[in-house]
Amino acid sequence: MKLKSDVNDNDLLRLMLAGDEEALAALYRRRQGSVYRFALQMSGSRSIAEDVTQEVFLFLMREGHVFDDSKGTVGAFLLGVARVHVRRRLRAEHRLEPIGDDSEDDDLFMQSTTDVCPLEDLTRAETIESVRKAVLSLPPKYREVVVLCELQDVSYGETAEILGCAIGTVRSRLHRGRALLLAKLRPAEDVEETSSASVKSARCFA
Amino acid sequence: MNCQRFETVVSELARGQMMAVGQKTEALAHSDVCDDCAARLSDEQMLTLGLQSLASEMESLEAPREIEGKLLEAFRARTVVVPITKRQSHSRYWLAAIAAMLLIAISVVVFRWSNRQGDEPREAIKQEQPQPAVNNKSNEQLAQDVERPSVDDSLPQPSKPKRIHPVTLRRPNNASVANHATKEIATDFIPLSYMSAASLQQEGGQIIRVQLPRSALANFGLPVNMDRYNEKVKADVLYGVDGMARAIRFVQ
Repeated sequence: MKLKSDVNDNDLLRLMLAGDEEALAALYRRRQGSVYRFALQMSGSRSIAEDVTQEVFLFLMREGHVFDDSKGTVGAFLLGVARVHVRRRLRAEHRLEPIGDDSEDDDLFMQSTTDVCPLEDLTRAETIESVRKAVLSLPPKYREVVVLCELQDVSYGETAEILGCAIGTVRSRLHRGRALLLAKLRPAEDVEETSSASVKSARCFA
Repeated sequence: MNCQRFETVVSELARGQMMAVGQKTEALAHSDVCDDCAARLSDEQMLTLGLQSLASEMESLEAPREIEGKLLEAFRARTVVVPITKRQSHSRYWLAAIAAMLLIAISVVVFRWSNRQGDEPREAIKQEQPQPAVNNKSNEQLAQDVERPSVDDSLPQPSKPKRIHPVTLRRPNNASVANHATKEIATDFIPLSYMSAASLQQEGGQIIRVQLPRSALANFGLPVNMDRYNEKVKADVLYGVDGMARAIRFVQ
């Protein structure tokens, strides 16, 4: 008999939907980590991440038949479901900040073009904590791209499937998200030099 | 490459993403000569390192074990529930089938009952209807009636109406269709006493148009349309000079 660990996700899902408990256990053990981490990185809350992980797999038990393997992988499908649940939870807890206009993001983007290396002096632990906080402070549409592409190491194509958008949109959101992160990670004194930095970059672009 | 072009590829460059060799070389060459772009690339590389550190820090994080237990418990509960719902759905099918059969049975009973209701007035009318011609029937005709039980009134009438073709008077043995000049079709006069047809014409008398119950046709050996059983049929009665009915013919 073939071990469940050797079976691919699609077959495990099919077996699970047919009532195979071992298939569910195998699929859960294989995919729970990425779902849990995604929810945690998006929300910053362990309780939300736990709830979301549970809800995602409960959804899979109930509605797993809606998965279409021609549209993507089971992993991407689960992350897509997790994304919906995370957003719902964050919205319910008023943790989502309103998404600003692109013009505001452009200002922050321009601030990031400095000649100072902001992370050089930070220790590794400080860096990690700073980056974590900076990621959590990103607007959701940039946060989910940064989490997926940078922290979950999901490809642009799969990210586009999860978010239901074009690959080009993923690229541009990631670019802007990184710029926002850099702006947030910059030391406070550098923020005061925003205007001069803008002038510099403008001169440079010319 | 200029700074603007460099900006579009700096993230990919810092993340070590695949890009065209020429483009990468040009970007790196530009960062060598442009301090701002070099700093920009350095920022991006530091950010990449920070994100990678965060990712590796969180890589070992997993959902608590109890979630798996809860899910498996929910899965077992669901699989236990499924057969129950299946049984319920089967019993629903059975109930629906029984209900359908009952409905059919009731509709058949109602249909038959309504047919009987329709037949009862017919029979009542039949009993009430006077049969003027019968009174004058000859013994010979009565004997003929006995020999034709299929059209006798005493026999039970079929409950289900049969499809009836357009009524055409079937000729009696020696009757012939006459009176073609008008639109009416009539049988020949059928004598009601011991007189020949020829003598009837010679004797003269008076013809009176009457309406008789259709069942009277049966008394003369003519077919009766059961669908129109309750309807009247026209007849011409030939009365002699003494006022006695001599003959009768049916008109359609």
